[in-house]
Amino acid sequence: MPLYFSEREIVLPGQLLSDNGNRGGEGTYVLGGMVYASRLGFATLRNNKVHVIAFKGAYIPQPGDRVIGIVIDVKPNGFDISLGRHLTATIRIPDKKEVQALNLKIGDVIYANVRESGLRGVYIDHTGRIKKITSGLLVSMHPLKIPRLIGKRGSMINMIKKESGCELIVGRNGLIVIDGPSPANEFAALSAIRMIDREAHSQGLTERIRILIKNILEGEKSVEG
Amino acid sequence: MKDSSMRLVKEDGTRIDGRRLDELRPLSIEIGVLEKSDGSAYVQLGRTKVFAAVFGPKEVHPKHLALPDRAILNCRYHMTSFSVDERKPLGMTRREIELSKVIREALESVVFLEEFPRTSIDVFIEIIEADGGTRTAGLTAASLALAEAGIPMVDLVAAVAVGKIEGQIALDLSDLEDKYGEADMPIAMAPRLNSIVLLQLNGRLTREEFKKALELGKKGIMEIYQKQRDALRRKYSEEALMEV
Repeated sequence: MPLYFSEREIVLPGQLLSDNGNRGGEGTYVLGGMVYASRLGFATLRNNKVHVIAFKGAYIPQPGDRVIGIVIDVKPNGFDISLGRHLTATIRIPDKKEVQALNLKIGDVIYANVRESGLRGVYIDHTGRIKKITSGLLVSMHPLKIPRLIGKRGSMINMIKKESGCELIVGRNGLIVIDGPSPANEFAALSAIRMIDREAHSQGLTERIRILIKNILEGEKSVEG
Repeated sequence: MKDSSMRLVKEDGTRIDGRRLDELRPLSIEIGVLEKSDGSAYVQLGRTKVFAAVFGPKEVHPKHLALPDRAILNCRYHMTSFSVDERKPLGMTRREIELSKVIREALESVVFLEEFPRTSIDVFIEIIEADGGTRTAGLTAASLALAEAGIPMVDLVAAVAVGKIEGQIALDLSDLEDKYGEADMPIAMAPRLNSIVLLQLNGRLTREEFKKALELGKKGIMEIYQKQRDALRRKYSEEALMEV
């Protein structure tokens, strides 16, 4: 089973990756028993399948993803939720009393789990917890850069939380809620997120972001003092 | 119509701009040039200069146009009013509407539209300076912009025009050669699949000439395809350092 790429090699749409048609994973397609890349990204081997991790592109919801959404419509049997960009998700609840019990209005921001995603649309799990977010700053970043924001085993996100003193809720769809003790802290966290969005690929980012947050917060103190 | 003092092909086999018959004009490609777009590319082929930008997948407007099982691809090929010698009036001419359609159809055959049901992908091709081969340069740029936007595709699309000037088959016609030559044939291919996604012919070619032109076109397309891949790799070689 030869592979035609080296691990983490940049591959382009149409590039031959493997000649075993059963090994096609995410970001690939199979044609005539061969696996080709369908997106621009780097190729990697996981669980004996070839995947292409795209650099850019739309967020495609996967079951189990934690997402942040905005209620855009209230219906007798559920809600329509905007997940940013082109995506709309639905919450279908068979029991009408439960719908009222959730007490969601248009414009409310929620944090929930994706249950199903496919041709029929995106459905949000209503049996799990649907958390209503009542305070904070709602910002968005590129959905494919969310893994960088979280970092290895959460190293980046924990550092930002600690340094900025803000609580961060991260949706896999690219929406993030920042809730901090003061606008200055929230601004520091926001600047960090913007920096990751811009420079996701550069090295030593964690350290630079720590310095960025520190500088913003210290600058704020000196103005007050 | 032909100016008697002007020769498109000189005795030594070179053309007005000094190229050989089977030579492309200097080609330069840049990726990710427009910040607000999801993907963009700039292609310069001789004096022909083209920007392409991709937006989406996004919601379809008006909503009733949305397809339940796949995305719709919108394509706009437009020449800026200063792109030609005599100012082109604003708005879409008959020609631009037609070219938008053939470019859209060429791109539809390589994009996996079924991955984004109920959405639209918008492709804008803006000709900044026109010196022949704008639709092919536009298509070359549009496929790069789509790739940069992370839209799944079967293959990139590379395109070039071939034609007949003074009885000889020539690659990559410039505006003058197109106007005073005998035939002009834009070809677009998905090179890896070896499938033709656009082929138009303006003028007359014999069967043999057509075969020769197609072969020459393929050669040019492979050259452009290589440059497209180099440009994408160059742009993203630093991104590979990203630690996820």
